[in-house]
Amino acid sequence: MKKLFFSMLVCAGVLSTINAQDKPIELQKYFGDLTARHIGPALMSGRIIDMESHPTNARIVYAGTAGGGVWKSNDAGTTFNPIFDDYCQSIGAVEVDPNNPDNVIYVGTGETWTRNSVSIGDGLYKSNDGGTTWNKLGFEKSERIANIIVNPKNSNEVYVAILGALWSDSEERGVYKTTDGGQTWNKVLYVDQTTGCADLAMDPNDPNTLYASMWEFRRTGWSFNSGGDKSALYKSTDGGATWNKIHNGFPEGKLGRLAIAVAPSDSNILYTVIEAEEDTKKGLYRSDDAGANWKQLNNDFGITVRPFYFSRIVVDPRNPDVVVKGGLSGSISRDGGKTFRNLGNMHSDIHDIIFDINDSDRMYVGTDGGVYRSWNGGTTMEIVENLPLSQFYHISVDDAEPYNVYGGLQDNGSWYGPSSSGGGISARDWNSIGGGDGFRVLKHPTKNIIYSEMQGAENVWRFDAENKLVKTIQPLPQKGYAKLRFNWNAPMAVSAHQPDRFYMGSQFLHKSEDMGDTWKIISPDLTTNDPAKQQQEDSGGLSMDNSGAENHTTIFTIAESTLDENIIWVGTDDGNVQVTKDGGKTWTNTTPNIPGLPANTWCYHIEASVHGKGTAYAVFDGHTSGDMKAYAYKTTDYGQTWTNIITDDVEIFARNIQEDYVNPDLLFLGTEFGLYITIDGGKQWAKFTNNMPATAVHFIDLQKRTNDLVMGTHGRGVIIIDDISPLRQINKDAMAKKLHFFESKVAEMNDNSGSFGNGFGAETQFVGRNPSTAAQIKYLLPKRHTFGKMTLEIQDMDGNKIASLGPGKSKGINIVNWGYRMKQPKVAKGKTFSFGGFTAPRVPAGSYKAVIKKGRDTFEHTFKVAYDKSSGLSDADRKLKHNTTMKMYDMTQELAYMVYELDAIIEATTKKKTKEALNSLKETLVITTGDNYVGSAEPQLREKMADLYAKIAGSYDKPSNAELESLSIIEERFEKAKVDFAKLKKKAKATLELKSFEAFVNE
Amino acid sequence: MKKIKLLLAALVLGFTTQINAQSAEEIIETYFENTGGTENWMKVEGMKMSAKVNQGGMEIPLEIYQFKNGKQMTIINFQGKEIKQGVFDGEVLWSTNFMTQKAEKSDAESTANFKIQSQDFPDAFTNYKEKGYTVEKLENEEIDGTECFKLKLTKTPLTVDGKQEENVSFYFFDTENFVPIAVHAEIKAGPMKGQMSESKMSDYQEVDGLYFPFSMTQGIKGQPGQPITIDKIEINPTVDAAAFKFPEETATDSKDKN
Repeated sequence: MKKLFFSMLVCAGVLSTINAQDKPIELQKYFGDLTARHIGPALMSGRIIDMESHPTNARIVYAGTAGGGVWKSNDAGTTFNPIFDDYCQSIGAVEVDPNNPDNVIYVGTGETWTRNSVSIGDGLYKSNDGGTTWNKLGFEKSERIANIIVNPKNSNEVYVAILGALWSDSEERGVYKTTDGGQTWNKVLYVDQTTGCADLAMDPNDPNTLYASMWEFRRTGWSFNSGGDKSALYKSTDGGATWNKIHNGFPEGKLGRLAIAVAPSDSNILYTVIEAEEDTKKGLYRSDDAGANWKQLNNDFGITVRPFYFSRIVVDPRNPDVVVKGGLSGSISRDGGKTFRNLGNMHSDIHDIIFDINDSDRMYVGTDGGVYRSWNGGTTMEIVENLPLSQFYHISVDDAEPYNVYGGLQDNGSWYGPSSSGGGISARDWNSIGGGDGFRVLKHPTKNIIYSEMQGAENVWRFDAENKLVKTIQPLPQKGYAKLRFNWNAPMAVSAHQPDRFYMGSQFLHKSEDMGDTWKIISPDLTTNDPAKQQQEDSGGLSMDNSGAENHTTIFTIAESTLDENIIWVGTDDGNVQVTKDGGKTWTNTTPNIPGLPANTWCYHIEASVHGKGTAYAVFDGHTSGDMKAYAYKTTDYGQTWTNIITDDVEIFARNIQEDYVNPDLLFLGTEFGLYITIDGGKQWAKFTNNMPATAVHFIDLQKRTNDLVMGTHGRGVIIIDDISPLRQINKDAMAKKLHFFESKVAEMNDNSGSFGNGFGAETQFVGRNPSTAAQIKYLLPKRHTFGKMTLEIQDMDGNKIASLGPGKSKGINIVNWGYRMKQPKVAKGKTFSFGGFTAPRVPAGSYKAVIKKGRDTFEHTFKVAYDKSSGLSDADRKLKHNTTMKMYDMTQELAYMVYELDAIIEATTKKKTKEALNSLKETLVITTGDNYVGSAEPQLREKMADLYAKIAGSYDKPSNAELESLSIIEERFEKAKVDFAKLKKKAKATLELKSFEAFVNE
Repeated sequence: MKKIKLLLAALVLGFTTQINAQSAEEIIETYFENTGGTENWMKVEGMKMSAKVNQGGMEIPLEIYQFKNGKQMTIINFQGKEIKQGVFDGEVLWSTNFMTQKAEKSDAESTANFKIQSQDFPDAFTNYKEKGYTVEKLENEEIDGTECFKLKLTKTPLTVDGKQEENVSFYFFDTENFVPIAVHAEIKAGPMKGQMSESKMSDYQEVDGLYFPFSMTQGIKGQPGQPITIDKIEINPTVDAAAFKFPEETATDSKDKN
């Protein structure tokens, strides 16, 4: 019966293999062991939107982030874990059901601090198991959810405040209510398609009393408007059925964004922060009669600054006069809002604050640079070190060994760090390389020079990393040219042809041949130069907000062809794709040739192909006009014709594309909700989800030597997929085989041991995982192996077994690591361990076979292993090292067998004297007393032999003269022991049934 | 046999058609039926697994004993010396300390949780209702590119750092043959608390009429795991009960003390 079952399974396997050949490849099922690794950085973390505590367990704290999902702490904010990776990573609100706090959590997606660079949400989610699994409850078009409030007396009654779309009209705004736990919803407060609910509060003592602040707001790619006639503060006392404005004491005229808070300890005390027309009327207002009357208390800078970014008030749960306000530094009042002082030193831009449920001295604060904890009421702040939420706008890589990743961050400057480091990539591995908001960072192709910039190219830095010399080199106004317009995220480029060449884009293309000392404009204005989109000094609405973030009609991307330096592509934020084939003498706007692209859609990236001079890819992003579709096109004729390469597989807008340097049909697309991959030039796209959160991928680079795909994400730092080369080789022929080995490069046995003690202080830090340095056996299975035996052996070319490894069984790509080591030697049995004996020796360089046995089939793959060239050993040195190591390996096993024999004789012999003599000999061979720590006994022959063996085997170098001399002493002692043992063996005359040496060492 | 025939028919006709019709109970039933039959599973009193793990080139042999009465033990053999880990005699949980090579008891909370978890023998799903466990079928998910039924198994709560916590794991049953190929569970204690563990199972082979996975990979979800290869499984082995007893220190040990 079992046989039948088994053969049935085989049969099923065959059937599904046959079926697979007719269908298009479902790439998503074949990613297998191809897995993303995250390298942070976490030391500057990233923007936090909403903090939430558990109402009865002070150890549990949640952080909702701008672009990195939801994180949960189980240790009172010491460390956090992500719990929302499979879903939209832009978070507006997190709410724990106070009636069932261990299990029920709501997450509203889409951040509500509506700066230019915000991402979008895609609805409301609920977990019934403390955040392990999630269900979507709708609101797909809500874009941003500001609050979720569960009635503390009835879990089925939930209110959701929807701020709604930032860049377009939307009717999915206002306050919604459910009375059946989220199955059905009623819109209980709605103003119009431009006005959303920015803040919602419930009287904790009366769940029918609600306060809602409605906000009229709109952003475009070139402007922001906060405020209007429709902004207002409303109150309902009947569970949302009716609402009335509560403006008694409010300033006249238009209102902007308002925050609202009810003191948990006194329902009559309310606070609101008002954005008004007149500066003197802005600021904090308080009501002592539940909103009937209001009185202005304070309009300090800390209270009125940037309402769209900081409208949050939090009242101490135990004291109605302790009020905290988000802001540039964050402000705290202990006199009921009359006066404020700044919160303690921490990263600027404070968005949310929560008090510990038991102790108001303990606070958690969410900033643009992560979560901070305070133990003394907000006076000193300490950062949470394991939140890798860094928000990259751009990344690049160099060709160092290991390669470095460079990039600029939202509100956190510019950085570079290694893709691999001893003990993992930790905070100390990252180097600051620019201030302000960071954007593009590029390494000079040959010199130790790094270019970086801040917003609007206000500064472009040329950093001589060798001599630590820094110089600003941004293009300056030139005679005969209009005022330069730089994007907030201004483009720069280096050249593959001329190492000192450096490009920058304003509305013109600027070229320097001397690393930015001399600039030449090599184009006309390449944008639409639409004056209607150039009124940034009027931007902001009721509060002027001219940060440069809205600068428009600018060049956004520059790509010089790696095949011909005269071919340069330029893309603009107002939708132009311009190309020159003569180094800038003449330009052609190819945008009219792009089918199906709405006018003026932001050209986010152009990738000049390595596969043809006329070939390029262009990615367009329309989200700043409310268009959330992905647009990417390919041309092979310098833009005379463009072909759409996006399918319905891609769910959301894209910002970046990366082509493979080898297989022209392999492309990587960075979208707002994660990474997509195609292996057929864009006919089908598959979302990559192996340890890859649905975070916004702003920029992708492919490291040429390692084939690592490096992503700059806007919320989860740098994420790398090591060696994507198997994707080049997935095709129907490979998939038709029972098992297909991927071609792999020569595996180099790295001698670099990393560094000493890199773990100090890292207990609560994020540490990025290193790439594997092992030889990797990679193969494709058409179907998962679940039944029957499957083994993987490494063999030498004569078929001798060197190691057995656990093979991967996944459908698709399998990756098995082999650390170049054979089995550790068999060590003599003693009282304690011989730690040296745990060392497994490395194999010599050469060819090896991976042999997979699966059912009745055997599959073989030959691969090469090479020595590390950087450690400077000659072939003779390597040979000496290997031979000495193996000599000691053999000696160790020989001694093990001798002790085995000796023990057997002691057991068998009846002669007391011989027994005693054997025991004395044994005491010189192995340790027979003590323990493995400070109670350890004097080392004997086994320990000396194994320790020297481990010392030689573990060194990168050839054996030293000292080691060889020590070896000769050990050899002598061993020879003498052998002679002594032979004599005693003779005397003992015991009849023994011993295992053979072969059987003994292989047992 | 009837079930098998039905399954065979389903395979030939295209098994995908019936995937969603399965209830949690049917999935578990079919799993036991396909792997030897519930009756035979219930006859299992104990198991001995001989396994190997490979750590940094070092091959470590393990012997794992598990019994219905809660007795458990893992024996690691290093350089001819036996190190016992996770030994449980039904009441006391202990391990050999690597430094002193002496037995030491685990803390009371770990011991209590271990006792609770020992009900899982021979399989978490055997008699799960009697054990007070509940099962819920969630939406299908793919594991290793393979369509799986996802079952949420809620077991007896554990106590972690003094607080009671839900004990939930997610089982992924291959929709083709109804055997679990992966288990996810939140790590409940220690510095990894809050992260999701992942075990993957494969190489199901027959032992005395029952099917067991002979290969497992354990690690953190989304990261490369550590493979464990099982060479041999013995059903109902005989072991001296004394092997599970916590060895109280005796005066004869003093000879070895420094």
